[in-house]
Amino acid sequence: MDSVNLKISYAPFVRSKDSVESVMYNVALALAPATAMSVYLFGMPALIVNLVCIVSCIAFEWMMDAIRKKESNCLDGSALVTGLLLALNVPSNLPVWMLVVGSFVAIAAGKHVFGGLGHNVFNPALVARVFLLISFPAAMTSWPIPFSVDMETAASPLGIIKTDGLAALGDFTLMGGLFGTMNGSLGETSTIALLLGAAWLFYKRYITITIPLTMIGSVFIFTGIFYLLDPGTYASPLFHMVTGGLMLGAFFMATDMVTSPLSVRGQIIFGLGCGLLTAIIRLWGGYPEGVSFAILIMNGFVPLLDRWDLTDRKALNQKKAETK
Amino acid sequence: MKTFTIGGIHPPENKLTEDKAIEVMPVPAELCISLNQHLGKPAKPLVKMGAEVKKGQLIGAADGFISANVHASTSGKVKAVKPAPHPGGQYAMSIFITPDGNDEWLEGCNTAPIDWKALSKEEIISRIKDAGIVGMGGAGFPTNVKLSPPPGKNIDHIILNGAECEPFLTADHRLMLESSEEVIAGLEIISSLFDGKAKASIGIESNKPDAIDALRKLGQAKGIDVVPLKTKYPQGAEKQLINAVTGRTIEPGELPFDKGCLVQNIGTAVAIYEAVCKNKPLIERVVTVSGMEITERKNILARVGTTFNDIVSYCGNMTAQANQVISGGPMMGKAVFSFDAPVTKTTSGLLFINNKGLEKSKERTCIRCGKCVDVCPQGLGPWLLANVAQLRDFDEIQLLGLANCTECGSCTFVCPSKRELVHWIKYAKALVNNRQKRKTA
Amino acid sequence: MISEAFIPAVTSLGAVALTLGVIIHFVSQKFHVEEDPMVTIINGILPGVNCGACGYPSCNQFAEVLVETKDSSMSCPVGGADLATKLGDTLGIAMAEPKPQIAVLLCQGSNGVARQTAEYLGIQDCWAATQAYVGPKVCKYSCVGLGSCIAYCDFGAMKLENGLVVIDKDLCTGCEACISACPTGVLTMQPKKTERYFIACNSHDKGAAAKKACDAACIACQKCVKVCPEEAIKIDNFLAVIDQEKCNACGKCIEVCPTKINCIRLEHDLKAVKQKQAS
Repeated sequence: MDSVNLKISYAPFVRSKDSVESVMYNVALALAPATAMSVYLFGMPALIVNLVCIVSCIAFEWMMDAIRKKESNCLDGSALVTGLLLALNVPSNLPVWMLVVGSFVAIAAGKHVFGGLGHNVFNPALVARVFLLISFPAAMTSWPIPFSVDMETAASPLGIIKTDGLAALGDFTLMGGLFGTMNGSLGETSTIALLLGAAWLFYKRYITITIPLTMIGSVFIFTGIFYLLDPGTYASPLFHMVTGGLMLGAFFMATDMVTSPLSVRGQIIFGLGCGLLTAIIRLWGGYPEGVSFAILIMNGFVPLLDRWDLTDRKALNQKKAETK
Repeated sequence: MKTFTIGGIHPPENKLTEDKAIEVMPVPAELCISLNQHLGKPAKPLVKMGAEVKKGQLIGAADGFISANVHASTSGKVKAVKPAPHPGGQYAMSIFITPDGNDEWLEGCNTAPIDWKALSKEEIISRIKDAGIVGMGGAGFPTNVKLSPPPGKNIDHIILNGAECEPFLTADHRLMLESSEEVIAGLEIISSLFDGKAKASIGIESNKPDAIDALRKLGQAKGIDVVPLKTKYPQGAEKQLINAVTGRTIEPGELPFDKGCLVQNIGTAVAIYEAVCKNKPLIERVVTVSGMEITERKNILARVGTTFNDIVSYCGNMTAQANQVISGGPMMGKAVFSFDAPVTKTTSGLLFINNKGLEKSKERTCIRCGKCVDVCPQGLGPWLLANVAQLRDFDEIQLLGLANCTECGSCTFVCPSKRELVHWIKYAKALVNNRQKRKTA
Repeated sequence: MISEAFIPAVTSLGAVALTLGVIIHFVSQKFHVEEDPMVTIINGILPGVNCGACGYPSCNQFAEVLVETKDSSMSCPVGGADLATKLGDTLGIAMAEPKPQIAVLLCQGSNGVARQTAEYLGIQDCWAATQAYVGPKVCKYSCVGLGSCIAYCDFGAMKLENGLVVIDKDLCTGCEACISACPTGVLTMQPKKTERYFIACNSHDKGAAAKKACDAACIACQKCVKVCPEEAIKIDNFLAVIDQEKCNACGKCIEVCPTKINCIRLEHDLKAVKQKQAS
């Protein structure tokens, strides 16, 4: 028997089928209903936005890997997810060049300046969205009306409340919000499509309930308190559930593996922080919508939350070593 | 159904040989008996080249407190005493024996069973020690030492480990079915060492219902509790098994007897029975020969010293796709580097696999999915341990609980980035040891 | 219009800058640390690589201790004799002559010379490999050949060549950092000499086993021991060792060594040879 054929590696010799690719493509798959819904609601322009974002994100990923002289993993799905999320976060009438700029910001400034996949502190798609929102406020806040042929635009329900007060909301219905027939970014209008995708992620166990539950729960309770205090000025918590990017943010962006805390207590604080900041910005902030800002701010606290866990663990081990 | 509380995984079970009865493998043309088949110091060789030995004759004497005797597994002539490949991955001093074909027992060995109840505790322990019995689950800790806990430690729960949670392996499973009486008798002997006051349990995973039934039938009359456990890896690890069966937690730095527990392997229990009642030293064991890349999968009763070469030719042959041979289970075993390595007292299986991830196995960066943290049965952060190991910060890594890692491999199994988490941890342990050695030197 | 926005911004920011500047000034005066100027001078002379070879964590620490104790036995292995005289002159004391040393690899088991075991595909690190099995080479005393030591060398003196680590004699400063990085202990320190004979083997295996594992293995045949006029060679646990103090570099041992590839090596220190020729 020839021993030369034997190869040596270290245990374990069996591995699960999960890989970076499978994780990322499953997230992309979970975003599929929302993407399909966006094309259904906003037509051809939505399809173009999706394609431009995906293609340019993957291309920039490849370029950044080349510049950094690293073996490129641009097709591992992470750039695809970033592109999809970015597309779902912008209005369908955004000019193509802005989408490309956004994609560049997402991949270069959101991800590769930190060292690439796994090292980024902030969610790349949100970095890009906030960058676009601040740089091109007009283009980013005039949303086409669903099913409108001539790209007629209007403010989102949250925007209407912010500028004209609750009374101006008009014929908004909760059912419309659930289904998605309201003005907004591509992916944030249809709550049902987002929940469908989230269910897939729960089924595959890629995300846990902690962050979405605490985030959505705290928005609900916080806005609920003010609704009870003054129903004339503040919208109902149910309205806040179905409008804006709350569902998209809570299930797909706050739960991003790279930029969320690892420990459960860290996740609870992270989720609560996201929820409270969202609600505060929505009720009193300068912008009508606060999900992106809230998640980005809390992203900044993740290293701290993880370190908290770490120091506790170390203190525990030290105590044990001393008592021994 | 009971199981341990923190972490755990469920890899594909692949118990391909669970219906195959144990086959007795014939004596091969040459035996290579390693003097290092246990934890602790290797045994001292007692025979020289050319010496005639009988089956069961002592050829290597325990050297020190933590060490074990080694016996000839057939009668024949000593061909050489020299280093040979060892399934643990190193070279170890070994005694080569050319069998004479008579397979003749040394006088007084393998007698008709006697009633162990007539023996005193000291006699039982000394018989176990003389027979060279070690923990047959994998670590190979000398059993006589384990059965003599330091004074003041009260053992109130004895657990036989029938979990066999590693994929592929079925050696203990077959033993529980085919030698049920010996298993129970072995457990009774262990119990008697603690005056029969300790509760005796056998923990068996639920994927072996026939073994649960067989042992329950026999054990009921003797007050032995058979505990079915939910199939989950690493249930067979000592700390996890104790947690699953008794609910007690062995804190880092503690040993099982600190919590009044004693765990023995199924194979060890049978060996104890044979040593005490028949005066038969530990010279053979059940080995599961399995994996996708061998033509005849079997459970064989192989003599200690049978080389892997002989096993391959006895079990058909390897397929061309085989690229790794593993001694032990696929989660915690070792890749074999030579077919000249022999079966030792701790070789529970020999697996022939085609590890497809091997050629393209490249570690990717951590995507912080947190799966390793979820599955770690010791409650550690494997990703962090590996990161710190890569940075070579060996003060920090000790504070993060490096010593608590049992190297069960659950974290590496689940990692989507295919990081070699356990290997990095093992690497850090080696360097931490090296540093301590240098400090004391 | 412009000045309306401009003036308040400039004045307010200017005021902030001024106030902070004043605070910093007073704080730096209040917490000023008196430092011996000599430490700074010594620190400037030292190589400044913080390699730790002297036993102190940094060059600065070495300078502080040296200035405080004026201990003439302290030495910086990196700087060597030149630095020692410079330090002595600056401090006005006679520094002890440092004994220069360099790292030596006691193995010649390159690919093709040493017998190989199974191929290793795990983490490419010597320590990791030796945890998985005996290593890529049969001889457990050999250089594993994955180059873990290279990362520890601050001077870029090590590289991997044909399954062995090669040490650049001119770049090696003798800081000993690589010694503890080797799992098989095949790296040692030897005194720097003009001509140096040494047994480039680390195998304590018995002759037959060593020969089987490697063509360049010392088989402890005693031939070099017998031929050495200075009695500088002795066999220690199946391995010949040359006493560098006694060896006068006559080279007789190399002639009698029966191993297929001579396990006794001769190394020149080119710098020293040139110096010798010049003088």
